[in-house]
Amino acid sequence: MSANGARSWMSITGYSDPWSASPGEAVNFYVSSDADTYRAELVELIHGDTNEAGPGVKERRVESAIDGEHPGRRQTIHAGSYVVVPDRRPLELTSFTLQCWIWPTMTTKPPGFWKPGPQAIIARWCDGRGYGLFIDEQGHVGLRVNGETVVAPTPLRDHAWHFVAATFDAESGRAVLHHEPQVAYALDPAATAVEQTLGAPPEDAGVPLVIGAHAARWDDGLEGRSSVPAGLVMDGHYNGKIDTPTVCNRALDRLEIEIMKNGARPELDERRGPGPTAALGAALVAAWDFSEGIPTRTAVDRGPYRLDGEVVNAPARAMTGHAWRGVETNWTHAPHEYGAISFHDDDLDDARWDADFTLELPADLKSAVYAVKLTTADGDEDYIPFFVVPRLGAPTAKIAVIMPTTSYMAYANEHLATNAGAAELLVYRTPILQRENMFLSEHREYGGSNYDTHSDHTGINLSSRLRPILSVRPKYDHFLTQAPWQFNADLHLIDWLNEAGYEFDVLTDEAVSYDGLERLEGYNVVLTGSHPEHVDGNILDALHAYKERGGRLMYMGADGFYWVHSFHPAYPKGAITEMRRGESGIRPWRADPGEYFHQSTGQLGGMWRYVGRYLHAVAGTGMAAQGFDISTYYSRTPESEDPRISWAFQGIDYDERLGDFGLVGGGAAGTEIDIVDTMLGSPPHTLVVATSAGRHTDGYLLVTEDFGVNQAGLDGTEHPRVRSDIAYHETGNGGAVMAFSSISYCGSLSHNGYDNNIARLTGNVLDRFMQDGPLPEPPADAIRPRGRAEYDPELNYTRPEAVEG
Amino acid sequence: MFPIPPAGSEDRARLIAEHEAATDCMRGVAGYAVARTAGRGRSSDPHGGVMDDWQLARVLVRMRAMEVHVHGGKLVVICTKRDEEWRIGRLTGIRGVVPEFVGDEVFHDEQDAHDAIFRMRLDQYPERDGMPEHFNAGWKRRMDNWAVS
Repeated sequence: MSANGARSWMSITGYSDPWSASPGEAVNFYVSSDADTYRAELVELIHGDTNEAGPGVKERRVESAIDGEHPGRRQTIHAGSYVVVPDRRPLELTSFTLQCWIWPTMTTKPPGFWKPGPQAIIARWCDGRGYGLFIDEQGHVGLRVNGETVVAPTPLRDHAWHFVAATFDAESGRAVLHHEPQVAYALDPAATAVEQTLGAPPEDAGVPLVIGAHAARWDDGLEGRSSVPAGLVMDGHYNGKIDTPTVCNRALDRLEIEIMKNGARPELDERRGPGPTAALGAALVAAWDFSEGIPTRTAVDRGPYRLDGEVVNAPARAMTGHAWRGVETNWTHAPHEYGAISFHDDDLDDARWDADFTLELPADLKSAVYAVKLTTADGDEDYIPFFVVPRLGAPTAKIAVIMPTTSYMAYANEHLATNAGAAELLVYRTPILQRENMFLSEHREYGGSNYDTHSDHTGINLSSRLRPILSVRPKYDHFLTQAPWQFNADLHLIDWLNEAGYEFDVLTDEAVSYDGLERLEGYNVVLTGSHPEHVDGNILDALHAYKERGGRLMYMGADGFYWVHSFHPAYPKGAITEMRRGESGIRPWRADPGEYFHQSTGQLGGMWRYVGRYLHAVAGTGMAAQGFDISTYYSRTPESEDPRISWAFQGIDYDERLGDFGLVGGGAAGTEIDIVDTMLGSPPHTLVVATSAGRHTDGYLLVTEDFGVNQAGLDGTEHPRVRSDIAYHETGNGGAVMAFSSISYCGSLSHNGYDNNIARLTGNVLDRFMQDGPLPEPPADAIRPRGRAEYDPELNYTRPEAVEG
Repeated sequence: MFPIPPAGSEDRARLIAEHEAATDCMRGVAGYAVARTAGRGRSSDPHGGVMDDWQLARVLVRMRAMEVHVHGGKLVVICTKRDEEWRIGRLTGIRGVVPEFVGDEVFHDEQDAHDAIFRMRLDQYPERDGMPEHFNAGWKRRMDNWAVS
């Protein structure tokens, strides 16, 4: 294996669709393999941590019809977004005008960049035939007519609105190119139009018109099949915004171009006459209005021919256009100010691979975490995990675990260790790259995560599960922890439940979000994963209703319920999720001004906290700090002896170190940690039964949303909020919630052959919570009025009289 | 900006020794901190290292904050055989160009690779940086290594 490309770091990868399925349903598997054949087998995943200090990898063979050798073939992902307009007669132009506003974000590219070459703004051009507006490798706008090019004399300024237009008159051969920055600085050269006489009018390229890329070649094979339209491969993907691209069927003069900026309004009667004039209107071929249909995959044409385009690979929409005034920030209130699409060369909505095989889930297949294990003759392997959930309304156990699949999507194929050089400051050590990271660092077409930025450093706000997601794999250690993280860390919990002999069902965020409370009803207790950070509003609603109707919730991690997510309505159920990183929270990128509202739903993005859904209200504790070097342990508090919760500590001495061991950071309290705060939503009757206060390193820092002024004293040895609180509270009708409040917590369950105080505490809680009927009533004296602010000031202050004398 | 102690200095020798001692504590820990702990393989009771040596803490922060593509590229650890072998690599800073191996040394404990990188960086990065005399036009668009959109 070589870092220099002698052999791929992964010769086989794949994905499934759907991720969640019930017995009797079918799951399709999509595989790309360098080897001629590979072996597939169905396994139940129990434990995926390879650390020799733990129980090791556990997987259980499950005989299935897909087991056996399969022919391998290499499949291609065509990343990069664009709008493709069907090849229609009105676009077969000899004379023309092309015009639009652009906000280019990557006018030049470094040597070796994964997607080199010119970028197309709007083009019906292929292989030296046709017409189009491009940006060349030096950052100059150019008009192409067949093989000839008219180039602007000065390069574009990146991250700045420009108006660009090009005209061509077939009779005279005269071409004119306009390239006008909307803001001109004192020392800028004049952006004068360029005129040139060309030899011939555009030949018919016989391809669709494309916005944000151009047609490159026809391919009838496997590679072409995963492109859109199938068989036509695109190139020249553009990075940046395009607003109101317009095509006319003759060379307009400068005044006509200016009038045409106002767009197409075809309705002409005695009541409305917004223009353009009838004469100029007759020149109009198409004018795409990207502010229309923002949650759709359609680029609406306002022109007379209805040349609607298909938006491919999910570029960012609801983007501020050249007309944004900075007054309204919600695109649903002023859509005409949101006429831009932000295209990226690494956008990806769907790998669109051919399915290699389909697994019909047997009717008696138990709910669990499964994977199809792929192996090649030379020893390479990959796993394609998926989740078998019970049929809706038919729980098969008293316990359910919700696998946080929306969070898996948010972290899908995360690249921080290679993209963000200062990731070391976050983790307080040098990153360790695994083979998955090395593969992804080369194969940018696999797309990034909501933690990454696009090629042009704008944030990735959408994430698809219709692609191989190499971060959702057993055996995968993440650079954040130097240990399992998310999916593989959640298998720590699955393993313990198996070892302890509990019967349980597996659910997913997707299942609960789409099916609501019915997915949770029937379970006596529901457990979260270790890091359910990213959720849509539906799952919050379902959890709230479940708790208040007597359900019991065990929050098995931390930094949960933090970011607002929406599923994109134009894609299959749960296939694409969206987030926007607003003005607070821990953000590896920040959304641009005016771009905080989701294109999927119009929902304000950012933290749930800032739309009044405090994370602490969901399970009693909320994110307080993070640090990724090492973890620590908990100590019990006097509140652990309250009879409301003392049963949970049966078999655990008061002075024991809780979780001074573990497979994530070496302790149960660590990585991301939550605390109780009654002013941020923790119910006022919450008991803090154990805490890790004062034991974290300086690598742990207070969350940004908890301070308004940057200041000294925010780290783990200095700030009192840098801690993890294990907390308990009762909910209505005999329900209750236990929050373990640390992402590393589940990594401690298997220590010492599963005989340890973390396993004991967790088992005590689960045994109580899983019992039928309402939980026992709390002691009568526990019923009393409580204010949120009553814990302050008396408990936090030491008054002068208390220290005198 | 905080200086890196020069080769041959007592300070450098002390930082190397402290880093090595911390690394030794981290053997067997599923994580890594430049700190001594309750014992080898334990993560609790962190002390020493960056917890107590302010010079070591600041030198490490300066190293960690370095941009990817300066002074020859940022060093990282690359796992070449799961749980068994690690090598040192260098980030390229170019999307699509995989990190390149540096040297031939193969480590059999991932924590040793952390320690080796620290020693390499003591020589890789200049003693001083970030002062007015180091100004160049690139400061007008400094990257903070996270995306600034």
